[in-house]
Amino acid sequence: MNRRSRGSSSSSGSVGGASDSCRRRSDVPRNRNNDNNKGGDSADVSFIVGTCSSMCPERERVTRERLRDLSVFERLHGNPTKSSSDLAVKKFCRTLSAADVQASDVRPLPVLEETLRYLLSLMDSREHPFEVVHDFIFDRTRSVRQDLSIQNLASERVIHLYEEIVKFHVISRQRLQSCSGASISSMHHLNMEQLAKTLTTLYNIYDVNRKPDYIYENEAEFRSLYVLLHLNTSSGVMGEPLSLWFRKLTSNLIKSKEMCFVRKLLRSYRNGNYRSFLRTTASEATYLQYCISEPHIREMRSFAVECINNVCYKLQPYPLLRLSQNLMMKYIIFRSWMLNLYAMSVVLRYVLIPMAALCCQRSRQASAVQRKVLKTMI
Amino acid sequence: MAYVSMGEAHRRITEYLNRFCDAVSYQDSSMLCRLLSFSSNSPSLLSLADALNVFQDASSLIRQSDKFSEYGEILAHLFRSLQSYRVGNLVEAYLAFEKFANAFVQEFRNWESAWALEALYVVCYEIRILAEKADKELTSNGKSPEKLKAAGSLLMKVFGVLAGKGPKRVGALYVTCQLFKTYFKLGTVNLCRSVIRSIETARIFDFEEFPRRDKVTYMYYTGRLEVFNENFPAADTKLSYALQHCNPKRERNIRMILKYLIPVKLSLGIIPKDELLQKYNLHEYMNVVQALRKGDLRLLRHALQEHEDRYCIVAVFLRSGVYLVLEKLELQVYQRLMKKIYIIQKLSDPARAHQLKLEVIAKALRWLEIDMDLDEVECIMTILIYKNLVKGYLAHKSKVVVLSKQDPFPKLNGKPVGS
Repeated sequence: MNRRSRGSSSSSGSVGGASDSCRRRSDVPRNRNNDNNKGGDSADVSFIVGTCSSMCPERERVTRERLRDLSVFERLHGNPTKSSSDLAVKKFCRTLSAADVQASDVRPLPVLEETLRYLLSLMDSREHPFEVVHDFIFDRTRSVRQDLSIQNLASERVIHLYEEIVKFHVISRQRLQSCSGASISSMHHLNMEQLAKTLTTLYNIYDVNRKPDYIYENEAEFRSLYVLLHLNTSSGVMGEPLSLWFRKLTSNLIKSKEMCFVRKLLRSYRNGNYRSFLRTTASEATYLQYCISEPHIREMRSFAVECINNVCYKLQPYPLLRLSQNLMMKYIIFRSWMLNLYAMSVVLRYVLIPMAALCCQRSRQASAVQRKVLKTMI
Repeated sequence: MAYVSMGEAHRRITEYLNRFCDAVSYQDSSMLCRLLSFSSNSPSLLSLADALNVFQDASSLIRQSDKFSEYGEILAHLFRSLQSYRVGNLVEAYLAFEKFANAFVQEFRNWESAWALEALYVVCYEIRILAEKADKELTSNGKSPEKLKAAGSLLMKVFGVLAGKGPKRVGALYVTCQLFKTYFKLGTVNLCRSVIRSIETARIFDFEEFPRRDKVTYMYYTGRLEVFNENFPAADTKLSYALQHCNPKRERNIRMILKYLIPVKLSLGIIPKDELLQKYNLHEYMNVVQALRKGDLRLLRHALQEHEDRYCIVAVFLRSGVYLVLEKLELQVYQRLMKKIYIIQKLSDPARAHQLKLEVIAKALRWLEIDMDLDEVECIMTILIYKNLVKGYLAHKSKVVVLSKQDPFPKLNGKPVGS
């Protein structure tokens, strides 16, 4: 353990922001070559054992209270200068190196488990808009991950923590879609970035100390998420092309139900088979897999409309109701989506004539209305 | 290990030292190659190793003579490596060889002409092989393997030495290929990018100047990278080049090239003859090729799905990275099936042959034991028409596909589907 004297630490004053790091400064010059306190193998040097017993180190809580740097979730009775050990959660802070960190600032595994449980319980909070909730949990889970990696922890309990954090990012991704605001798209981007990082770490931990032919309880599902993030050839979310990634899978994983499912989806997606894609997703996807597939579901539906638009005989109108059933959309939602598509003149070639062709057969009045609407829009 | 007397050991070591120094003085590259090639396990090297292990103080021998001490550092490391290699201590052998290699490369830089290029190739090859063996030893002892990664760094250094204006630059492609093999083995293929960029954009290199053998290997690996990145036309170009220029006697190499070229060609609509598959023992593709020829969707699905077999073909395809290429063949198989239906209809009722009823297609699929409702059949036909595999249109109400009178099933003509 390192003991170094420090000057006062300063923070950047942002309130729970997903943006930047704070830096710790010290007035004492560092002598990195002289590590008298560390013994043993060079491999053990940077792995601290944390001793902080609450969700937030006391030092940090006191400092942030003083600087009014408390998130809304951390304020005791809404007081921006007062928190408590039940409410304060350690903030993410980019440290310069592991040598700068003190053991009393790092939370051991049981505390991290408790912290994560608490953080995830806030997901359903109705008091604040989701962006605010997401922002807080985003930052604080990042700090949890940091504590885990500084201590180089890797066990089944740790796997469970990472899996829960991945779930958070996936669900957030979906919920952020229905939020609005200027910063949402950058939040979304940062969320995807951390999702990718967390998944990578999770996969590494699965691989470390693996017993031959063994896969962890949820491993197949979490591996399948990688495939779903890479259905599209051009999406390089995590940098490694899918065919390379597949090489590393063990045969147990390849044979698992979840991997078979995503391979089926992959086949349908790559071949443009929207019917199979939508049906397979509807019948076999877990909630997490569904959340990740959502953009592709929309893509497949648009693709279906584009195909049908180009390929169908114009004198034989394609009933909207039937189409909405095939694309597994509620009819009302489908109709308004179609009107929106044409209003934005997205992608489709022969707009006017097939528009009439795609009119609903149930009432000629409705189709007349649509034609009128269309003419005013274009 | 054979018993060797001190006198005999002394003689063997001195003989080797003389050979080494003469090889350098007379610029005898092939002699030098023989002296450095550990993995050949030649009797002379093995007997030298035995001698070293008996004599134990070869460095004193080296120091005694001016002729030998000129290359003292190189020889000392080399001997140490050989000794460790002989007793099966592969990690030590690697570490010493790495030091030898570094010293050797320093000398190589000072030699003006490129006479020792072949010997340098041997050094590069040996270091990679030794690193792989060392990593095996490390993993079997529960430690993490890092020697191959280190070998990669050394090879990059050698590349840097060769990347200059002089005659030595023709060696750069050989080293590049050693790097490719290293990165592929490590799984860090993205590292290939920087060395590829150097070869392809640096003005000092003229691709045509490189030896043929190296060009073939280079195109093979870069072709495989294109397969991984799903750039099929580029993969076709490169792998075809490799095939064309490969020595026809090297059947093993041809097989390796075909293993990747065949799926790429399939995706472009080009089907190999069965004789080719048989000659080069590429049975894993037999079913896929058959399915494409006959429009047999069931056979294709069977070939790419899970089996209960011990020998899991899917895993083979996934490991070699061609799985995604093969999955996309489904649309071509559908096209072939539609064409067959059309041909059969033409024989029985030519006037109506250009109308494919969805019901008839569904029936054909049921014969292949594939159960598909009309909505899905319609979906497939829609895609086929949209991607230009079928020319015509779909009449939804009549549940019929009306084919164009002219060329209703266009060939891919070397372009991937849907482009």
